[in-house]
Amino acid sequence: MPQTITLFIPCFVDQFVPEVAADMVTVLRRLGYELRYPEEQTCCGQPAFNAGFWDEARPLAERFVRVFRLAETIVCPSGSCTTMVRCFYPELLSSSPLRGEVAALGKRVFEFSEFLVDVAKVSDVGATFPHKVAYHDSCHLLRELNIRQQPRELLRHVKGLELVELNRSDECCGFGGMFAVKFPEISGAMGDVKAGHVEASGADFVAACDPSCLLHMEGILRRKGARVRTIHLASILASPAAATTDRAGQAGTAQPAMAAPGDEGGR
Amino acid sequence: MALAKPSQGAREEILGRVRQALKSPAPKRPPVPTGPLFAPVENLLERFQREAATNYMEVKLASDGAGVTAALREVLASLTEGEIFVQDTPQLRQLAADTADGRPVRWSSEGAPAESSRATVSLCEGLVALTGSVLVSSGGCGGRGISVVAPCHIVVTHAGQLFPDLESAVARAREIAFDNSYVGLITGCSRTSDIEKKLIIGAHGPQRLVVILQTN
Amino acid sequence: MTATREQEFHRQARDKAENLAHRKTVRWAIDTYDAAVARGKSRFADFEAARQRCYEIKWEAVNHLDRYLEEFEANVLKRGGHVYWAADSEQARNYVLELAAARGVKRIVKAKSMVTEEIYLNPALEKQGIEVRETDLGEYIVQLRHEPPYHIVTPVMHLSRAQVIELFREKIPDDVKGDSHEELTAAARRALRRAFFSADMGISGANFLIADTGMIAITTNEGNGRLCTSVPRIHVVFAGIEKVIPRLQDLATFWPMLATTGTGQHLTAYSTLIGGPRMASENDGPEEFHVILLDNGRSKLLADTEQREVLHCIRCGACLNACPVYRNIGGHTYNTVYPGPIGSVLTPHLRGLAEFQHLSYASSLCGNCNTVCPVKIDLSHHLLQNRRNAVEQVRPPWRLRLGMRLWRWSMMDAGRFRLAGRVGKALLRAFGGAAALKPWTEYRDLPPVPEKSFRQMWRQNGAR
Repeated sequence: MPQTITLFIPCFVDQFVPEVAADMVTVLRRLGYELRYPEEQTCCGQPAFNAGFWDEARPLAERFVRVFRLAETIVCPSGSCTTMVRCFYPELLSSSPLRGEVAALGKRVFEFSEFLVDVAKVSDVGATFPHKVAYHDSCHLLRELNIRQQPRELLRHVKGLELVELNRSDECCGFGGMFAVKFPEISGAMGDVKAGHVEASGADFVAACDPSCLLHMEGILRRKGARVRTIHLASILASPAAATTDRAGQAGTAQPAMAAPGDEGGR
Repeated sequence: MALAKPSQGAREEILGRVRQALKSPAPKRPPVPTGPLFAPVENLLERFQREAATNYMEVKLASDGAGVTAALREVLASLTEGEIFVQDTPQLRQLAADTADGRPVRWSSEGAPAESSRATVSLCEGLVALTGSVLVSSGGCGGRGISVVAPCHIVVTHAGQLFPDLESAVARAREIAFDNSYVGLITGCSRTSDIEKKLIIGAHGPQRLVVILQTN
Repeated sequence: MTATREQEFHRQARDKAENLAHRKTVRWAIDTYDAAVARGKSRFADFEAARQRCYEIKWEAVNHLDRYLEEFEANVLKRGGHVYWAADSEQARNYVLELAAARGVKRIVKAKSMVTEEIYLNPALEKQGIEVRETDLGEYIVQLRHEPPYHIVTPVMHLSRAQVIELFREKIPDDVKGDSHEELTAAARRALRRAFFSADMGISGANFLIADTGMIAITTNEGNGRLCTSVPRIHVVFAGIEKVIPRLQDLATFWPMLATTGTGQHLTAYSTLIGGPRMASENDGPEEFHVILLDNGRSKLLADTEQREVLHCIRCGACLNACPVYRNIGGHTYNTVYPGPIGSVLTPHLRGLAEFQHLSYASSLCGNCNTVCPVKIDLSHHLLQNRRNAVEQVRPPWRLRLGMRLWRWSMMDAGRFRLAGRVGKALLRAFGGAAALKPWTEYRDLPPVPEKSFRQMWRQNGAR
């Protein structure tokens, strides 16, 4: 059982949704882990890789391998970024001098819910979140990492939380990285379909393990004027001490991305 | 009348490219042990009847020759006036004589079925319990058209022709493959759901497929 | 200036994606399909084992393609059939045009064949004054409408009954006796029976070419494939070279698999095997049998060891139904013979990467296609490889290359990364409504821009 966790905080989480990372930190600390955060980390290279620019992605991947070389257990609040390291680094770095390290690295990096349930063997993290929650299966998390039960297991143990069924929970929300802005008409339609299912579920919140899906779904739901809000699994598990409570009323564009748990006015 | 050009075309060119391409090996997934695809079929006759019901195929059981005759007479009586097309075998010659009741009969030995045939009558190469299918062949069952031209196709068979599953039925097809220019597995009636996904029974092929099965 | 393929794709995609009636129709069709497939899969003792077995048979066939093609050809010839090897569309078309001319063919009936669409066969035949009638009900309908099929298995998924009524009343008014689904099907039956019984030639495709018996396998539900191959005096088969499988016995695996993933059935109504023209002892059937084996870029794909497995495809259509992109933009938007995930992967290989790379980018890489493919083709990974190939072989616009290089440069150093983050956030705050952000903001609200990065929160108070 590891005592020290090294944090892999994806580039856009660091910059645009840092509270997700802060909430993951809250949960890990609550469970008694020592945390390390290598500040030299930047990006795993996924955007360039997905766009077909493998020559640009490769040096970033090699840099990642070096930055996390000494980390024994790495935890990440994003399914797609974890997938990049575990599933795609072997192909991307197949001719690299670092290729011998890649398989072992893949075994040391975990998505957050996967870490809690499969490694820490914890299903109840002592969270309280008295709302109706629907869970969205992010594509890479589900199909590349085979993570389906772990987030549901964790949500079922949250006090007061009612897990409602989401029709076609495994249908893509439409983000897909650059796809979201390269083919906005398709991405928007897919998001609209997903938003329809979310609204029909009767949930107060839709949760997922991928901040990228949540950014996209939040944008769609707000544009529709929907009541439902998005929330990352980490923020639910950190509740009621989630960083989201600090963000209510924060200055910025549009409305806050995540409502404060227990904020009755948000219902 | 031969074609002006040799019929082979770009054979050597294509095969050459194929052989060249295959000089480099492609990756292969690791093998995974696989057992039978379907659970073994227990009661063949019962399973055949159950599957046939889901395929809109009518199965009429008969305990003896008299029962077969009666069943065929009943089906023919339900059809409108007009010619039927029958596979030319001694058994079916006798059956037709006992049941046609003045209806004109065209035999397979005379050629192809007429477009206006009300029904066709044939034997079969076998029945498949797993799927409720009928195995037919051009040589063994009166040609190709007999199983598709008329709105009603009647198959005269017996329980000894039952195969449990596809592995055994396809093995039988393999045995007769070089003796027939057509071998087919017919699983129920012609159907389509092209329009709004609504299932309609009877598209271009028969709307009724009747299997008269002698159990003894 | 005429629109490029990619621009046209965007235009049609937007049109369909915003059309809620279209969305509803397609949803309905796919929900029906999904329910049928779920039932179909439950009939297998082990569906995943069946997929593995299909994969292994196809791997064996494609990776020994020369051997099995030669065995197939030898057996067809032994049975009195002809085999013609067509390097490209033109050779394939010319063979049948010459055959038709030599045999005095005036009317042709066709069972569905994607390969004949690929080689643009119908226009060439019609130009020679030959009447060509599609006989699969869905294909017949789109032929009357002068439009391409919407889906490789269910060609008129996009049409309502009202639209079919209107079409039939215009084109075959004497055959229409009512408005119900049954009556419309019966009307088509009447019209097409005249075609079957007056045709000189029947053309079909083949789901499989069987090497050990020199037979072709066709599966249909309607019986039109049976009539096309039983009544006219000449039968011509078009098939891609990758369709050959080693043994007839392999069909005990492929028949139920194709039926399940194609339509959710246990078996289709007619699983047909044709081996040559009628035999001397037989009472009916075509007098002549011709198989046209088409390369048209397949041997080139075979040489791409990374993507060779794309040739395993059995054209079941499952990946189309599984694809959330397809569900929203529909089959016509792709403007290719093969739409959906398989089409996006395959078309660059058959018709060129430069012109068709945009299809590989029009995907969120969700991977649902991979999970439903009966022969386990890694479709979404091949889309990624197509993208990589596009970047390497077809130079992307210099702006994009520069942008990527700049992005990489700023990510390679933590200090530059932090600076880039600060600059990016400042720009977002200042220009949140700018036109440059329209690709995001047209359909979505922007997220609020946080004050601090996680890095700053960590430094300041350990992110407590």
